[in-house]
Amino acid sequence: MIEQPYSISRSYIRTVESSQQSTTLAHFHYEVSPATSAMSAFKRRTTSKQPPPPIGTRPSPGSPATTITSTGIPSLDDILGGGLPLSCSLLVLAPDAHSAYGELVLKYFASQGLACGQRICVVDARPDAFLSECMWMPGSSGAASAQSNSPTPAPPTAAEDEEDEKASEHDTKIKIAWRYEQMKQFQTTVQSPDQSADDYCRRFDLTSRVPESTINSALSEGRYLDVRPDESSFSEDESSCRRVLRRVAEILAKAESDSPSASALATHAIVTRICIPALGSYEWGDLSPQDVCYFLHSLRALLRRHPRACAAMSVSPHLCQETYGGPGWVQKLGWLTDASITLAAFTANPSLSAMFSSHHGLVHIHSLPAPHTLLPPSDKFSTLRGLTSSGENNLAFKCMRKRLIFETLHLDVEGGVSERRTTPSSSAFAMEAGTGHDHDHLHQPSTIPLPGGASVAAVQVQLEQVHMAPSVPESQPDLPPAKPESAFKKAKVKKKVAFTSERPDLYDF
Amino acid sequence: MFPLVSLPLPGEVLLITDELLASADFLLHHFLARHLKESKDSASMIVFLSEDIGRWKAIAGKSNVNLSGHMDNQRLSLIDAMSLISPALESSTMVPLRDLYDGIRDALQNHANHREQSMLVILDDLATLEWIGIAVEEVAQFSRALCALCRQRNAALVLRHHIVSPGEPDEVFKRLLQLCDYHLDVFPLSSGRSGSVSGQVALHCGHASAEATNRLISRNAAVQYRLTDTGSTFFDRGTGNGVL
Repeated sequence: MIEQPYSISRSYIRTVESSQQSTTLAHFHYEVSPATSAMSAFKRRTTSKQPPPPIGTRPSPGSPATTITSTGIPSLDDILGGGLPLSCSLLVLAPDAHSAYGELVLKYFASQGLACGQRICVVDARPDAFLSECMWMPGSSGAASAQSNSPTPAPPTAAEDEEDEKASEHDTKIKIAWRYEQMKQFQTTVQSPDQSADDYCRRFDLTSRVPESTINSALSEGRYLDVRPDESSFSEDESSCRRVLRRVAEILAKAESDSPSASALATHAIVTRICIPALGSYEWGDLSPQDVCYFLHSLRALLRRHPRACAAMSVSPHLCQETYGGPGWVQKLGWLTDASITLAAFTANPSLSAMFSSHHGLVHIHSLPAPHTLLPPSDKFSTLRGLTSSGENNLAFKCMRKRLIFETLHLDVEGGVSERRTTPSSSAFAMEAGTGHDHDHLHQPSTIPLPGGASVAAVQVQLEQVHMAPSVPESQPDLPPAKPESAFKKAKVKKKVAFTSERPDLYDF
Repeated sequence: MFPLVSLPLPGEVLLITDELLASADFLLHHFLARHLKESKDSASMIVFLSEDIGRWKAIAGKSNVNLSGHMDNQRLSLIDAMSLISPALESSTMVPLRDLYDGIRDALQNHANHREQSMLVILDDLATLEWIGIAVEEVAQFSRALCALCRQRNAALVLRHHIVSPGEPDEVFKRLLQLCDYHLDVFPLSSGRSGSVSGQVALHCGHASAEATNRLISRNAAVQYRLTDTGSTFFDRGTGNGVL
């Protein structure tokens, strides 16, 4: 009789625990659901009649009417709510002229399209150059490696950046307080899929290039089309925007008529990806803000008429600024596209890159796709944005040696400067070296006036040194045994000896 | 709920403004669904410029309104504004919005011939007209003509305009403010996006109405709303009704 209530309460606790787990992992459950629903006994008969989604796509977790496809970057997919919905447009603004992160996102988009066998349409003056620079999967057959000395097909763990590996090693080595040991590890981004997972999102590596043979086969199968904004046409007065729109409309109409829809053969339906890496670059001619608005608005309307196409665009840097389009220009761009984000890189601002040394820029989200719902699916399903629990997270991106990652931006534990690491990283050494130099410079002016002895300031310095001198021999023997506990401190001591050999350091604490 | 019940009355013009972080789509859908459900004689017209018809149908379906059925019953007519505007945009001689106005007038006439019914006209985006290169003067004239037309036919008119530079009203917005009876002001939280509060709504009196019959809501006391799958819930700020 005593046992029973006890066991009930235990099971109750267990269910509470499991329900908590299930809420935290809700995102992953949804990803699995298409596979599990096939096994369910309660499957509706009507759903089996529906053709399977086109290759490289899946139904959106939020609304079954929406079909999404991957951008090639898992963390960006997460921000968009699983992926970019078909018939939607994505605009990536990169206002920084010194970097090309917008183009990088577009390359991922094109690579993903090539990798899963979708049709891609590149709108650029040099489409072949753009496509040949795209990244590819490491170790896949014939992948042209950009690095000559590391051609070995890497296992999934080796695909991590070395820096990351080190950090994770340190994280696992840390002795964690017992009450936090059970908590799952702190993560700033979403997991990449396994190499073997599926076509939906491949795992690309920035160190490998797309093989020539892949492009050629795509070309021969008609899965690679190009539209050149600078090509001459019969009517010269036609603006490049209208010309491109007309050409894209033709391509989409042809794709629609080629693929037999509403039949059993619809499994062969191929999604068309429109990639515009540099809208408004000089090849497009002189574009007024009205032209750009008209282009974006018409392109979106065009995509809506073709439910198996989607577009990603990046705008030339000068077009991303309000000086180009007047007040509220970025907002206008946000209204005219389904999804628009800004990748604000730090390259132009040294203070920002010093403050956020582990990231390369901030991510601002302007609009998110919601083709069939009031609320963007991203609001519910994005782990990175984290709107389900509280306010929106701050997001940043970093481009490592092998991949581009979008992740949440956090302040340090102390609210401090750079990283959450327990051991010093290379950047910490660099900073230390920098401060050492500063000390050196500070001393220099104090020593120079000494021989002259004319100024009052020089006399004061001398007095201070006299006061400090007796205290030094006392503290000096204590220091060496206390210091060598870490490499960080060792280096500090060394530097001091090197720079101030004769006199004691004024700022020695 | 939020006192939207009597908005907009027949013959009145309601201006809705919104910002990028707080889109007023939900209000347009709400007005349409409520109007079609109100009585069997009610009819609507959607003039869509930015939102495609697929989204209208999908969202209306969530609130149990079958737009296709209503279109068959001639209770709902749709006008694709862009198809009427783009020919005029390409030729330099035509007045860009003339065809659109004529289209709306003919459709209203058609409805009026059909039977006596209460009419709601929704124009989903005025700002884009200006952005894609139509002169401010043209947009202002068009909206004035449209307002006059709807008042004449005793139809309720809902206009939506995007605010891209909050605090600095643009020229079109200034003109629209002169035309409307009420101005519904949808704006985001100043602290950014939140999972539990989607935005806030204020109701101002437009210049065209002599005195306000509805209770006005200032921006300082704006009602907050939260979007759900099927619609929206409103709650006073600070009460936590929508959060808890």
